[in-house]
Amino acid sequence: MRKTAVIVALSLIWLSGCRRGPARTNEVVAASVGKAPLNPGDSAWEQAPEYLARLLPQDLVDPRLMKPSTPEVLVRSLTNGTDIAFRLQWVDPVANDAPGAGTFVDGCAVQVPKKIEPSAPDPQMGQAGKPVEVAFWRADWQASVNGRGDTIRDLYPNASIDHYPFEAKSLEAGSAAAKEMAMRYAPAWAMGNRRVGPRETPVEDMVAEGPGTLAPAASTTSRGQGVRTKDGWRVVIVRKLPEGLAPKVRTQVAFAVWEGSAQEAGARKMRTGWIPLAVREAK
Amino acid sequence: MARVHNWQIGREMSYWYPESRPQKQFAAVFDINKCIGCQTCTLACKTTWTSGKGQEYMLWNNVESKPYGCYPLAWDLKLLEMLNGGKWNGKAYEGQTIFESAPAGERVSGWRPDDHDYAYPNVGEDDCTGQVDKGASLSLPHMHWFFYLARICNHCTYPACLASCPRGSIYKRPEDGIVLVDQGRCRGYQECVRGCPYKKVFYNPLTGTSEKCIACFPKIEQGLQPQCFVNCIGKIRLAGWISKPDRARAENPIDYLVHIKKVALPLFPQFGLEPNVYYIPPVHVPPPFLRQMFGPGVDEAIQTYKNAPNDPDLSGLLCLFGSTEMVVPRWRRQGETVFGTDDKGTELVKIPMKEPVYVRAGYDKLYQIARTNCP
Repeated sequence: MRKTAVIVALSLIWLSGCRRGPARTNEVVAASVGKAPLNPGDSAWEQAPEYLARLLPQDLVDPRLMKPSTPEVLVRSLTNGTDIAFRLQWVDPVANDAPGAGTFVDGCAVQVPKKIEPSAPDPQMGQAGKPVEVAFWRADWQASVNGRGDTIRDLYPNASIDHYPFEAKSLEAGSAAAKEMAMRYAPAWAMGNRRVGPRETPVEDMVAEGPGTLAPAASTTSRGQGVRTKDGWRVVIVRKLPEGLAPKVRTQVAFAVWEGSAQEAGARKMRTGWIPLAVREAK
Repeated sequence: MARVHNWQIGREMSYWYPESRPQKQFAAVFDINKCIGCQTCTLACKTTWTSGKGQEYMLWNNVESKPYGCYPLAWDLKLLEMLNGGKWNGKAYEGQTIFESAPAGERVSGWRPDDHDYAYPNVGEDDCTGQVDKGASLSLPHMHWFFYLARICNHCTYPACLASCPRGSIYKRPEDGIVLVDQGRCRGYQECVRGCPYKKVFYNPLTGTSEKCIACFPKIEQGLQPQCFVNCIGKIRLAGWISKPDRARAENPIDYLVHIKKVALPLFPQFGLEPNVYYIPPVHVPPPFLRQMFGPGVDEAIQTYKNAPNDPDLSGLLCLFGSTEMVVPRWRRQGETVFGTDDKGTELVKIPMKEPVYVRAGYDKLYQIARTNCP
C-alpha cells in the first residue's frame, strides 16, 4: 500500500513537471522587458504569460466565413513602456505565402481601440466615431521581406513571358522612362496601393471605423516578423503602446487569423472579440 | 437587399443596393454572325491595357468558341448549374438570379476560378458540336455548329462585382455607367472575381489588386469607341448608349437594335445583372442553345436579322458597325446612305449602303502592269 502511494505521488510530481512554460492568464498581460523583441524565438518571450485566444468565424457581416478553420491562437505580449509586442502562434501545417488567382495567403492581425475609454468600440472593426487601429501581418509580405522576388516566375517558375513593353530594348533598363512605362500597366502601384511587391516590412498599420472602412494609417510604424514552426506560424507584431496604457489601466485587444488554404481574406477570417489587455508592472 | 427593376428579365428582383441608373449607360452591340474569331480585338486590348507584370493571363477581351470554348474553364456551365438552368415563362424569368439564390453569408451566388482554370485558354476552341460526315450538306440551323463569342465586361446595370465588394472599392460611373475597380482602394480580396458570373474581373498577383475592362474610358470621354471595337476587322461591334425600354429613341443606334428591332440580346439575362453588351445571335445555331444563352427573344431576333435585306433601316444601320472610330449617338438613313451624327445632328460619318464597284481592265497599259480585281 505504501509502495503504491509512493508511485502515485511520484507520478503526480512527474506530471506536474511536464507542463513547462508560463502560466496561462485570462487576459492578455504584457510583461515588462527592456526591449520589445521582434524575433519570435527571442528568450525574452519566456517571461511573458500566455493567453489562449479562442477564435470564432466572422459570421456577422456578409461575406461571412461559414466554415470555421483555425480554432485558436496562443498569444504572449511584452512591453518596454514605449512599444508593445505581441507574439501570435497557431497551428497551420501548410504555409500559404504565394498570392495568385484563387489563391490566398496566411495572415494575422492585432486590433486595439484608438482611444482608451470606458465604452469600447465595436470589436468588429470599430464603429463610426470610435476607430480602431489594426496591425496586419501577411505571409506573402514576409516572403518578400525574406527575399522572394516579385516576378511572375517567382510565383510560377515555368511561366513563359514573351515581352513586357517596359523592357523593350529602346528603353534603358531602370530608366525613368522604363519605370513610367511599367507604372502604366500597374495602376494600383501608380495609385500608391502596393498590396504585394517588394516590401521592407511584413506588417501594415491601418485604421477602421466599422466593417468595410479599413484604410491604411498615415504611416506604418509597426514592425513584424513571422517564422514557420514545425506545425504552423509564430508571428511577432510590435506596435506602439496604446496611449495611456499603463499598469492598473486596461484596454482591449482583438486578434484575427486568416487561413490561406481556406480561401480566407478580408471579412472571411477567424477572429476574437475584445480581450482585456493589461500591462504588468515592472519588478 | 433592395428591390430593383430589371427589364431584361421582365420583373423586379433583389439587389444589394437600391436602383441607381447612370445619366448615360455605355452599351454595345456585337453581331456574332460577322465574327471570324481572329482575336484582333483580344490583342488590341492586351497591348493597350494588360501587358504588365501579373497581367499575363488576363484577357479583358476574349473570343471563345461556343459551345465548348470558355475562359476561364466552364465559367458559363458552372453558373447555369448553380441556377439549375433557370426557368422562363414567356419574357418573364421565373427562376432565381444570382442575387436571389445567394446562400447564407454570401452577397451573390458565385464561384472563384483558380489559376488552373485560366491555364488552358484553347480548350474547346474551334471545336464544333460533332463530326461532319462526308457527303453532309448544311442547312439552317446547322446539324453541327460552333460560333465565336466575343466577350468584354458587360458594364452591368446591376454589377455583381460591385455588389460583392465588402469595401465598396468598385463603382459605376454616374456619367457613363462604366464599372471600374478603384485601384487605390482595392485590397485584393477577390470577392469580385468570385461574384462576377461572366468572370471578367481578374486578380493581379503582382500588384495584389483585381483589375477589369475599363471600356477604354479615356477614349469614351473623348467620344471615341474602345480599342477592341475599332480594331475589329470583321466590323462586328458598335458602341453607344442605351436607354431604358420606355425611353427608347429610334435615332439612337443601340436603342434601335435592342429595344425597337429587338435584334440584339443580352448575354445570360437570367443571371440578373442587366448586362449592357448585346449580341445579334448567330443564325446557324439551334435556337434551344441560344435561348439558354440569350433568353427568350432569340427566335424573334433571328427572324428579324434574316429579314434585314428587306429592311433598309436595319440593314442600313448594320453598315455603321466599324465605320468610324467615333461613338455615334444618333443615326438616320436617307435613301441608300446612312449618316451617323452627334447629339446635335452634326455629321460624324456617312456610309453608302452599297459600296460602288469599279471594274478595272485586267492589264493597265499606262503602267504596263496586270491588275487583279477583288469582288
